[in-house]
Amino acid sequence: MRTIRSVSSPRSGQLKIIFILLGVNILIMAVLTYLSPTFMTYGNISAVLTRMSELGMLAIAETVVLISGGFDISIGAVMALSGAVLGTLHVVGVPFSLAIAIALLAGVAVGFINAVLVVNLKLTPFIVTLATMSIVRSVVYALLKGHVLTELPEKFLNLYYVYVFKLPLLFVILVATAVIMAVLLKRTILGRRIYAMGGNERTAYISGVFVKRIRYLVYCLSGFICALAGLLFTVRIRAVIPDAGLNAPLEVITAVLIGGTTIYGGKGSILGSLLGIFAMYLLLNGFSLLGLNPFWEVIILGIILIFVIGQEGIVRSFRASLSRRRL
Amino acid sequence: MNGETSRLGPLSSLRRLFQVREAPILIYIIIMIAVFSVTINGFFSMKNFEIISRQITTIGIVSIGMTLVILTSGFDLSVGAILSFAINIGGQGIVLGWPIWIVYPFMLILGVILGWINGFLITRLAVPALIITLGTMNIYRGITMVITKGVYITPIPSVYQVIGNGYIPFVFFAAVLGFFIYVTLTTRFGRNIFAIGGAEQSALYSGVPVRRYKMIVYIISGFLSALSGLILVGKSGFVQPQAGLGYELNAIAAVVIGGTSIFGGSGSVLGTFLGSVMLGIILAGLTMLAVNPYWQGLITGILIVLAITLDSIRYLRR
Repeated sequence: MRTIRSVSSPRSGQLKIIFILLGVNILIMAVLTYLSPTFMTYGNISAVLTRMSELGMLAIAETVVLISGGFDISIGAVMALSGAVLGTLHVVGVPFSLAIAIALLAGVAVGFINAVLVVNLKLTPFIVTLATMSIVRSVVYALLKGHVLTELPEKFLNLYYVYVFKLPLLFVILVATAVIMAVLLKRTILGRRIYAMGGNERTAYISGVFVKRIRYLVYCLSGFICALAGLLFTVRIRAVIPDAGLNAPLEVITAVLIGGTTIYGGKGSILGSLLGIFAMYLLLNGFSLLGLNPFWEVIILGIILIFVIGQEGIVRSFRASLSRRRL
Repeated sequence: MNGETSRLGPLSSLRRLFQVREAPILIYIIIMIAVFSVTINGFFSMKNFEIISRQITTIGIVSIGMTLVILTSGFDLSVGAILSFAINIGGQGIVLGWPIWIVYPFMLILGVILGWINGFLITRLAVPALIITLGTMNIYRGITMVITKGVYITPIPSVYQVIGNGYIPFVFFAAVLGFFIYVTLTTRFGRNIFAIGGAEQSALYSGVPVRRYKMIVYIISGFLSALSGLILVGKSGFVQPQAGLGYELNAIAAVVIGGTSIFGGSGSVLGTFLGSVMLGIILAGLTMLAVNPYWQGLITGILIVLAITLDSIRYLRR
């Protein structure tokens, strides 16, 4: 694939957001180090990094979909699906590597269905993925019959203890995926087209972008990454649970939007989303270290979400009124 | 056009019946009742219809509020969270031994306040309602969990269960339904809701107080969620922090199955009622056929997709 050099306009704004997020992360870390002696230990930090791996993956998937001008709230359900498929197939006696392949394919299949509904039937992505979320979750419950499944090969589960350069493997997988996707988005023509399509689908189409084909690719990719996230999650908690990722849509969408991706499409970055997820997990870690009720997390997330989005809305409407343009 | 239809005679009136938005779904419902009555023993019985009527009321009432919101091309994902907040935080009054005539209004007022917050944020920040209510949904649920610490309120005095007896929930549903059918079809407020959903800018320019009406719509949605909560408490006999989980999905399902367009501006409250009846009948039928309840989400999801596909076809044709 040919590569392109410079990545133009959206950069400047993005850089600012990323610096702000870095600052926020450092600030949270400083406060937590001050408040809790156990925070700045190798064990705690690597636990945070491991824990953020699966939601980080979901955030990558959501970022790509949002940049392309779509929306996907089936991410959490797809994550649960891949774990459920893996566990069920393993119990039935399917070879484990094949089970993994099928689990990943299941994610791609859901992405494909989403794409068919969004592209060919021209349905609103939000409602479509709401419906597929309900469908997929119901399949997950039916596969697991509502039970938690723990019979998984030790070898697979022990990936949890593998460290690469003192970093947990799960986190390394997250970083690798992030780098691949970031390069795809920022350094390839395909990536430019995804941005272009999200910015203005009509214009992109007229300038020769195969909008439909790329949209298919984006949703399938999202399904694949979410399925991978499901595998990571299974390794991390050493079990397959039907309720996996139940809160993921909120957490992931919040983190992604904090990271500078917009719900209107055409703008955003993987790095920003990951920094958003990292900040979230730092906060969560802080709550548990300080012994606060974990439900404060959802409250704070909700407030942050509204604040971030609201700010953007204010800026947008301000700009719109300046240029006397109705959006 | 008129002459042509009249020439077709009796067939034309039948055809015109089909052109009514709610007609197809009514026919599906009749077919479904017929099929289930033949295949399932005891489906066609007063007992069963009473059960179904009780099942559909709580989500049905929420769906009516959701219909108004979607008609203005908005969205309210926080309905289930408002329901839970209203009965749990209001339920603290039960714990404290307040009389029912204070607790009930208190719960309803909580619903109104939360709905007002939604409406305020949505109209002032000019942000998609979807994202705002995704946020407030979690804020409301989070606050509920923090305050209740996940503890049920049980037992509750039997006066609170009166509202959940027999057909009483359905009577409430019917009253709310009748009121909002009247409001949407005959009042200026109703007409303006359709106008806002159809073309917000034009509505604004022609003097419709868009912001105020949007606020009112979210307040109604919050109020109806709380009302539905009261009935839920009456039916179940306890107050549960997880109450109303997944109501947003089912309410949206009832609304879109009932033929209301998710683009706003077209649809009806009656359609939503039929949508929730249809969902209720399907779920009851499948339960009696001993289909695993886990598949309910699948059926709801497929129905949503079918309904919005039809809606989209209708929308593109216009």
